[in-house]
Amino acid sequence: MGARKKRESMKIVPPGKKKCVWMEAGVVSYKLCDHNYDCSTCVYDHGMQDKVARHKEKLITQPIAAAKDKLTETWVEKMMQLPANRRKCRYMITGEVGRKICPSAYECGTCSFDQMMQERMQAEILPVHARSQESGFELAEDFYYHEGHTWARPEYGGRVRVGLDDFAQKLIGKLGRIELPNVGQVLKQGEVGFQIRRNGEVAQVLSPIDGIVAHVNDKLKDQPDLANESCYETGWLFAVEPTRLRKNLKGLYYREEARNFINEEREKLFNLANDDLQVAADGGSSVEDIFKEIEGENWARFVKTFLRT
Amino acid sequence: MSRCITICPIGSVEKGILEHISECISFRCNLTCRFFTGMDNPKYAYNEIRCQYDSKLILRHLLRECPHDTLKFIGVTSVDLYVPILQFVFGLAQIEGKCSIVSLRRLYPQFYNQLPDPDLLLKRVEKTVLHELGHTFGIIHCRDRRCVMYSSTRIEDTDFKQPAFCPTCSELFKWHLDKSLQQDP
Ligand SMILES: [Zn+2]
Ligand SMILES: [Zn+2]
Repeated sequence: MGARKKRESMKIVPPGKKKCVWMEAGVVSYKLCDHNYDCSTCVYDHGMQDKVARHKEKLITQPIAAAKDKLTETWVEKMMQLPANRRKCRYMITGEVGRKICPSAYECGTCSFDQMMQERMQAEILPVHARSQESGFELAEDFYYHEGHTWARPEYGGRVRVGLDDFAQKLIGKLGRIELPNVGQVLKQGEVGFQIRRNGEVAQVLSPIDGIVAHVNDKLKDQPDLANESCYETGWLFAVEPTRLRKNLKGLYYREEARNFINEEREKLFNLANDDLQVAADGGSSVEDIFKEIEGENWARFVKTFLRT
Repeated sequence: MSRCITICPIGSVEKGILEHISECISFRCNLTCRFFTGMDNPKYAYNEIRCQYDSKLILRHLLRECPHDTLKFIGVTSVDLYVPILQFVFGLAQIEGKCSIVSLRRLYPQFYNQLPDPDLLLKRVEKTVLHELGHTFGIIHCRDRRCVMYSSTRIEDTDFKQPAFCPTCSELFKWHLDKSLQQDP
């Protein structure tokens, strides 16, 4: 907390983090973007827009009281007061492009440059900012996790990328083939979204989110083991246009909840693999390929328990 | 039931470490300790693919050899242990049973290419033994990272935790201990 206070007072943006457009425009003194610059679905942006609208009303009825708060302009209005050559495009603010001035009064919804950038970024994978180890399984910070061991990550433009978590990747082990959904297919949170094959066994996997499939990771066709090597980045599975994002996110594990969830799953996994003796073990991470280790055991039971299908 | 814990070296184990374990158990749990004659290197449990020893097989062996008049039976070994699914284990214990086993292998600083440090080693031994003993009394893993019943995935976890039970686990320990002492041998 202390470090954050200090940063705020000095207005330093930590590496990997980016200024919120409200900070960039100078409306608020310190705010970092936590929503990948997707203002259209950002709770903070909506709240600020409301606040400004309310203050504007107040300005008419109680001009002195409202003026004190100074929250009378939106970030766009503030930016538009700048000389035209200083109106940075939002992709310049985020560092996505070098120098780009906004030609269109920040109406990103109708801007063709914005559209191009959206499409370009759709194909690229965002790097994971931070990872943590929980009971020997890796978690990517700021990802949302479904109990069926997939993850969802809201990205630019409101799309949501989906993949397998480290637990699922290790449980299934070296992936044989991933049968992804088709573009345009409608998925529902908690219902089967795709399936995975390994040595003649099939595992069905649940979708973490409601939505329409917009992209699939074509690279997995030739290299399914990308999902083993890099399950949070290059091994992503598909991206959806979400239809009930806010409601769906409440049904997913995030941060502390995700860590607790993985801890419980690890105990459960251990008990299931060692149910011949009632024992507790203390030790290292799980082996890289759990499927191989428990070969001959009841594979279906593991899938049912952990992928929940 | 007697207040006695039996410590059993499996393969060759430094005498000083065995004595330290005995002192720690007496001091922390107010129980007495004695030593079992010792067992040979557990060749039967060696896995050639993993180049490690299967801790469950050794635990089963301990179960067969366990003296009737002891409260708990702890095996201590220098070999590297594993259990299916995990890459290695520091220890394995029956939950609410008599037997447990501890491996010293990954407690030595030298295992991590560090200089020998006898004090650090003994601290790690103490925490690992207390933890496994806790399991045999029926205590499961604790969420408190400082509590000795926190499950160590890495040696850093062991170094971070205290060689003592948190208040909750401490209560549980006393409760379980009283219950076991009331039972007939
Ligand atoms: Zn334990
Ligand atoms: Zn505790």
